Amino acid sequence: MSGVDGAPRGGEVIIEARRIGKDYGNVTALADVSTTVRAGEVTCVLGDNGAGKSTFIKVLSGVHRHDHGELVVDGEPVVFDGPRAALERGIATVHQDLAMVPLMPIWRNFFLGSELTRGRGPLRRLDVARMRAITRAELLRMGIDLRDVDQPVGTLSGGERQSVAIARAVHFGARVLILDEPTAALGVKQAGVVLRYIVGARERGLGVVFITHNPHHAHPVGDRFLLLNRGRSLGDFARGEVDRAELVHLMSGGAELDELAHELDRDRS
Amino acid sequence: MGTSTGAAEPLPGARRPTVPRASLRVRLLRRPEVGALAAAVAVFVFFSLVTDTFLTPQGVATWLESAALFGIMAVAVSMLMIGGEFDLSTGVMVGSTGLLTGVLATHAGVNVWVAVVVSLVAALAVGLVNGLLVVRTGLPSFIVTLGTFFVLQGLNLALTKAVTGQVAVQGMTGAAGFWDARWLFGSSMRLGPATFQVSILWWALFTAACTWVLLRTRAGNWIFAAGGEARSARHSGVPVLRTKVGLFALTAFAGWLVGMLSLFRTTTVQASTGVGVEFVYIICAVVGGCLLTGGFGSAIGGALGALIYGMTYQGIVFAGWDNNWLKAFLGVMLLAAVAVNTSVRRRAHTAGAARTARTSPHVAAAGGSPGGAALDPEGEVRR
Amino acid sequence: MRSGRKRRPWAILAACGLLLAGCTNGEMPAGTGAAAPVPAELADGPLTMAVVSHAKPGDAFWEVVKSGAEQAGTELDVAVEYAGDPDPVQQTQLIDNAVARGVDGLIVSMANPEGVKAGVERAVAAGIPVITINSGLEESADYGAITHVGQSERMAGAAAGEAFADAGATKLVCVIHEAGNVGLEERCGGARDAFPGEVENLQVDISNTADARSTIRNKLMSDDEVDGVLALNQAIAVAAVGAADDAGSDVGIGTFDVSTDITDAIASGDLLFAVDQQPYVQGYLPVTLLALKARNGNEVGAGEPVYSGPALVTKDNVDQVSAFTERGTR
Repeated sequence: MSGVDGAPRGGEVIIEARRIGKDYGNVTALADVSTTVRAGEVTCVLGDNGAGKSTFIKVLSGVHRHDHGELVVDGEPVVFDGPRAALERGIATVHQDLAMVPLMPIWRNFFLGSELTRGRGPLRRLDVARMRAITRAELLRMGIDLRDVDQPVGTLSGGERQSVAIARAVHFGARVLILDEPTAALGVKQAGVVLRYIVGARERGLGVVFITHNPHHAHPVGDRFLLLNRGRSLGDFARGEVDRAELVHLMSGGAELDELAHELDRDRS
Repeated sequence: MGTSTGAAEPLPGARRPTVPRASLRVRLLRRPEVGALAAAVAVFVFFSLVTDTFLTPQGVATWLESAALFGIMAVAVSMLMIGGEFDLSTGVMVGSTGLLTGVLATHAGVNVWVAVVVSLVAALAVGLVNGLLVVRTGLPSFIVTLGTFFVLQGLNLALTKAVTGQVAVQGMTGAAGFWDARWLFGSSMRLGPATFQVSILWWALFTAACTWVLLRTRAGNWIFAAGGEARSARHSGVPVLRTKVGLFALTAFAGWLVGMLSLFRTTTVQASTGVGVEFVYIICAVVGGCLLTGGFGSAIGGALGALIYGMTYQGIVFAGWDNNWLKAFLGVMLLAAVAVNTSVRRRAHTAGAARTARTSPHVAAAGGSPGGAALDPEGEVRR
Repeated sequence: MRSGRKRRPWAILAACGLLLAGCTNGEMPAGTGAAAPVPAELADGPLTMAVVSHAKPGDAFWEVVKSGAEQAGTELDVAVEYAGDPDPVQQTQLIDNAVARGVDGLIVSMANPEGVKAGVERAVAAGIPVITINSGLEESADYGAITHVGQSERMAGAAAGEAFADAGATKLVCVIHEAGNVGLEERCGGARDAFPGEVENLQVDISNTADARSTIRNKLMSDDEVDGVLALNQAIAVAAVGAADDAGSDVGIGTFDVSTDITDAIASGDLLFAVDQQPYVQGYLPVTLLALKARNGNEVGAGEPVYSGPALVTKDNVDQVSAFTERGTR
C-alpha cells in the first residue's frame, strides 16, 4: 500500500484489498492485487480485455471468493459468501447488464427485489404511488428528469439506464458502488453523462470503484488508479502520482508497446 | 437526457407528490392485452353481424362457457409464459384430476369432497415436480413438461382401465357428496331464457385474482422479472427459482379447477381428455399479448385470447359453416388476431417511448431465452 | 325477458351483469330446465337440423354419416349442419349451440352418454326433437330422444366375435387404434362376450399406421396361438393384412367399417369379413324421421331403436356391396 499524500479528498477507508489472488483450477486469474477504496473517492480499475478486471470486481462484490491475500472492509478481514453478503456491507455492484429487466417499467425495475408494500396478509400489495414517487425523486437527485417512470427501461438510452441503476444502488444504502464498464458500450456524449453521475455519486460521499479500459474516461474522475495486466498489478497510484499520458502509456501496453514502436520504426528507415 | 449533476434536492418523504404520467392513450396502448381487446371486439362484431344466434342470451351463454374452460387455463399459462416457461402437461392435467376424483369417488367409495381435495393435492404435487425439475436440471421447460405430458397421458389411460375396466369414469352421480360439490363446480344459473354455467364465474374470478397478483403484488413483479431477464432478477435479489416453481403449481391448480368444472358439468371424464388442448392454451396466451420469450403479457390478455377462441369456435358453428373447415377458419381467425395484436402493440411502443427508443421491447426480449435461464453459471442452480 | 331468437344487445348486458353480480346462484336446475315442450305444430317450408357427433372433423366413418344426412337434407329441403368433438364437454357445448340456434331437430351420437346427458335433456326441454345415432342406444329413450338409429358398439363387436367363432378361430387380438376411445373398448368388449376363446387387446396409434403394422406383426410373430385379428377401422385392417404378410402368418382378419380397399381385400380373400354399421343409414334415416315428424307429425319406431346394422360383408355378398361403396353410400 503506497502511502497516499496527494491530498486525498475522501474520508475513511472502506475497502482495502491486500495482495488479492484468485485461481481457477491451475489457471491464475489474479495475483498480488492491492488497492484502497475510500468514501468520497473514485478508484479506477484499468486494464485491457482479460486483464483480470472482472475477476477482481467479482471478488469485491462477493460473487467469487479470493484464494490468496486479504479483503478488509471497515477494518476487518472478510470473506463474502455471496453478493448478498457484500450488499449487506453496503457494497453494491452495477453490472454491465445493469440487473435490469428491459420490458419492465422504470419504477418496477428500481424497486425490483425490494418492493415496498402496504396492507397485511393476503391483502399485502405493492405501494405503487410511493414507489413511483421515490423513483422519480431519486432520479431527479441524480439530475435525470424522466417525464414518465412507467416507460419500459428498454426504451431508455444506455446512459440513462446506467444512471437509473446507480440511483437505485444509492437509494438502497450503497456506500461503495462498483461500476462494471459503465461507459464501454456508450458513445462519447453518453459516456460523458455517465461520468457526470460518477462524480455526482462521489460528491455525495460514496466510494466508487470504476472499471474501465479507457484511460481517457478514468483520468478526469479518478482519485486512485489500479492498473491490471494479465491478472497482475502494474501499479496502484494516487491521483497526483500519475498523469494522463503515463496512464495511457501504461494502459496501452507500456514497455511492450515501446518495443513494438521501435520495431516499426526500424522497418520504416 | 439528464441535465446537470445531482444537485442535492431533498427527497419528498411520505407526502404524495404528483408524479407525471403519460397520457391515458399511451398508457392504454402500452397494455399487452390492447391488441387482443381490439381483436376480440372485431370477432364479436363479425359474428354478431353474420349470425342470428350469436347475440341471443343462449348464444352468449354458449360461447362464454366455451371460452371459460379454455380461459382459466389460458390465464394460468399466460402467467407461466410471462415467467418465461412453458407447460405442455396442462391439457392432460385436466383429465388426470378429473379421472382421479372420479375413480376415488366411484370405485374407492371416497366422499366426493375428499376426492376433490386429494386430486388438488396430486395436481399441486405434479406442478411442483414440473417446476423443480425445470429449475434444478436447467432443462428447457418445453422438454420437461413434454415428459410429464406423456407420463400423465399414460397413467390416465392405464390406471383408469386397470381400476374401472373402462376408459371413462361413469356413475359419478351416485357418489356421496356429488350434488354438493356439483353446486360449486357444475351448477348453472338461469338468466332469462339462457342458462349460464358457473364456470364462467370461476373464469372471471380467476382472471381477476391473477391480474391482481401480477400487477399489484411483489410476486407479480418477480414473475415479470424472472421471465424478462432471469439473471438481472437474480442479481436484484428476486427468488427466481421459487417464483418459477410457484408458477408451475399455479398452472397445475388451474388444470385441477378445469378438471373439476368438466367433471361436474358432464359427470364423466374420458381417459383421453385434454390431449392436444395444451397448444390451444398457449395460442390463447400468445393472442392475448404474451411474448413467447417471456417477460411480457397479462392475465387479462390470456382471458381475452380464450374469449376470441371460444367466440370463433362457437361462432363458426352458429354460422353453419362446414365443420371440416373449422380448423382452417380458426387458424385464419387466430392469425388475424395476432396480426391486429402485434400492429397495435407496435404502435403502442412507438407512441409510448417518449425518448430515444433504441431497444424495442421485442428486440430486447428476443435476447433472453425462456427456460434457458436456469443454465446461468452464476445462478442459484449451483446449490 | 321473453323470446330470445333475435339479436338483442341486452344479452350482453345480462352476461356482464352475471359476472359482476357475483353469482347468487338462486336456483340449481340440474340440466333440465322448467320450460315446457313446445306444443306440436306442423311446419312447412325449409327446416334446419343439427348433427352433433363425437368424432373429430375428417373422420372417414363420419364423413359417410354426414353424406347420408346431407343427401336426406337435399331431398327433403332440410339444411343439415354437422359438427363434432370427441370431448364430452365440447360436444355438450355444440349441443347447447344447436339449441341456441333453435334448430328444428337434433341428431346426436352418444359415445359417452353420461357426458352429453345434460345437453340432450336441455334440448328436449327446449322442445327440440332429438334422435340419437350410432352409440348410446341404451340411454336414448331415458334422455328423452324419440328414437335411436344405429347399433350398440357392443352388439357390433359381438357380431364380429361370432363371425370369428364361425371361422374357427381360437384366440383373438382386438386392435384398439385410439387410446381412451370408449366406443372402441366397447367393440372389443362385445367381441369378448361373444367369442368362446381368449380375446386380447392390442394398442396402436391411428395416426401412425406404419408403426401399427409393425406392432401387429410383432404380436403375430411373438404369439403363434393368435389366429384372428379384429381391426376396428379400415386403415388398421389394411395395416393388419400387411402385417400378416410380413409375418408369413395365415391369421384370419376381420374389420369394422367398409371402404373400397376393404371390399377389394374381402374379394381377394385377404379379409374374412367386415362389420358394416352402414353409417350412411345413420345419417340419412334420422333426418328423414325428424322431417316426417316436423312436417306430418309421423312418429316412427314406437320408441324402439332402429337398427342400422350390423350388416356383415363377406366374400359371399361383397360384389353387391362394393358397387355401393364406390358411390359412398355404404
